[in-house]
Amino acid sequence: MTGSYDAALHLLDRQVVDSDGRLVCKVDDVELTVGADGSLVPTALLVGLPALLPRFGRHLGDVLTRTHAQTFEAQAGRAVPDVIEIDLVEEITSEVHLSVPRKGLLQPRAEGEAAPERIRLGDLLGLPVAADTGTGLHRRSRVLDVRVVPVPDGRRTVVDALVVGPGRPGALLGYDRRSEPGPWLVADLVRWLHRHARVVALGPGVEIDVPRGEVRISERASVAPLLG
Amino acid sequence: MKRYLNVLLGVLTAIGGFVDIGDLVTNAQVGARFGLSLVWVVVLGVVGICVFAEMSGRIAAVSGRATFDLVRERLGPRMGFLNLVGSMLVTLLTFIAEIGGVALALQLVSSVNHVLLVPFVAAAVWIVLWRAKFSAIENVLGLLGLTLIGFAVALWQLGPDWGELASTLSPAEKPAAESWATYAFFGVALFGAAMTPYEVFFFSSGGVEERWTRKDIGVMRANVFIGFPLGGLLSVAIAGCATVVLMPQGIAVETLGQVGLPVAVALGKVGLAVVVLGFFAATFGAACETGLSTGYSLAQYFGFQWGKYVRPRDAAGFHVILLVMTVLAAGVLLTGVDPIMVTEISVVFSAVALPLTYFPILVVANDPDYLGEHCNGRFANLLGVGYLMVITVAAVAAIPLIVITSMGQG
Repeated sequence: MTGSYDAALHLLDRQVVDSDGRLVCKVDDVELTVGADGSLVPTALLVGLPALLPRFGRHLGDVLTRTHAQTFEAQAGRAVPDVIEIDLVEEITSEVHLSVPRKGLLQPRAEGEAAPERIRLGDLLGLPVAADTGTGLHRRSRVLDVRVVPVPDGRRTVVDALVVGPGRPGALLGYDRRSEPGPWLVADLVRWLHRHARVVALGPGVEIDVPRGEVRISERASVAPLLG
Repeated sequence: MKRYLNVLLGVLTAIGGFVDIGDLVTNAQVGARFGLSLVWVVVLGVVGICVFAEMSGRIAAVSGRATFDLVRERLGPRMGFLNLVGSMLVTLLTFIAEIGGVALALQLVSSVNHVLLVPFVAAAVWIVLWRAKFSAIENVLGLLGLTLIGFAVALWQLGPDWGELASTLSPAEKPAAESWATYAFFGVALFGAAMTPYEVFFFSSGGVEERWTRKDIGVMRANVFIGFPLGGLLSVAIAGCATVVLMPQGIAVETLGQVGLPVAVALGKVGLAVVVLGFFAATFGAACETGLSTGYSLAQYFGFQWGKYVRPRDAAGFHVILLVMTVLAAGVLLTGVDPIMVTEISVVFSAVALPLTYFPILVVANDPDYLGEHCNGRFANLLGVGYLMVITVAAVAAIPLIVITSMGQG
């Protein structure tokens, strides 16, 4: 996997294709693991209704996830998503290419999902941001995306920054991320809606607290505008 | 030489495959009630479907992504799901109408009640979807659909006063007995019939099925920009025939037989036989297209293997959906519901579902991540945004118009 990408825009919901060109699934969610040094590393693609349903929104998603789990109560493992280890991902283009064939590929983690260091991208997106006034961030900012960059030492990638801004429609359209002329009316509207969006580098001054459901950003954080 | 033959075949099947039950019924109804005063809507709709089919075809050729992939990637899982439900309902309604249309066409030939024919038609559609090659479905039924040119021949044979006919093209020529609300209702219905969402699902997924690459963009454009407008001319010919024969007699179109009546008047039994074959081919072809489209949209939302380019056992889930949908459609028709009524409902609700499908196509057609150098130019964007506005107006107006005019009765 090469190059940097924004996980919600470029990876989530994309088609996964196996080494024989057969369609496997969609990227229903992405698993991020918090390293010992506090770094945030994408470790797996999460697949299946247990990964997809929670992304339907906080209330609707909860109801759907619970209903799905109850429906398949007798089956062990039906309430946890299947995983595809990130090492199996060869390339991310308009589809996600795997280096292995699809047969028997999808299965949940043997040890279950419950590990405090593993968080879902879907849970991180939309978290409210508690920012100090000195950061210049909009007071109703939320996490809109995470920027993933390759680590210089090789194939690994790591989350390098958060994209935060008031949660308005159109973030998935990508106009806020690039300056190419879209149909100008749509592009300008989306850019205007996201004019308060900023890129916040992970590091000192940024604290992601998934259990408490917020991201705290202090004045020490490095904040940059989203477009160029 | 082979290349030119391929282009020709593509264009011919695009013409023959353009008309479906929605176009047949709506154009004849409108012709019989409003003359040619709504032809401008057909032109608007045909240009619109060209604009968006070209974009979706280009995306499919360059990135291999079909329309519903884009819908989920760009609208997210929740809005995408809402769109999936809406589009599936409309496409299923259209599928029901097409199977009913095939049964009605066979009823014209056999005089056997169409309800009795439905199980056989549904079984035939499913066997074709399961066993036949994608290109065979498209080419055979598309070429047979060309027999609908009988409507153009009939119009010419009827020999109307062309000058007088052309003078009725203006919206101001709306018959005084019809209200502007019904005029608007049928305008929206015609627009929905011309721009039915399944057409882009099918067109873009078909591009992936046929493994289009960048090299095929030229051929794809020829199909769209030559084939679709000529197919649209067939729609206008149907409306024209109804205007010349049915309107002066005050005949309202309620059956498929009445759609073909002007051809019988102009060309006799042989002419009628030819266009009935056209009815059969057009509705059977569209039944296959809409059936496949239900499978395409579901599979593309959830990401499992779809398509006829792999063996059925490699896309088992996709083929199970096709079977379930066919059984469901047959079940609805076996209740004895009038396929013509289902058609009327399906075209109006098509109009409601349009923006959710076409907006993501327009956005991705501008995204260099997908299209590289093949992104939309200014002209395509101008048309795209313009149409997005028209589509939104039609979608918003559709339901109030249904209520106000009681489905065009008023």
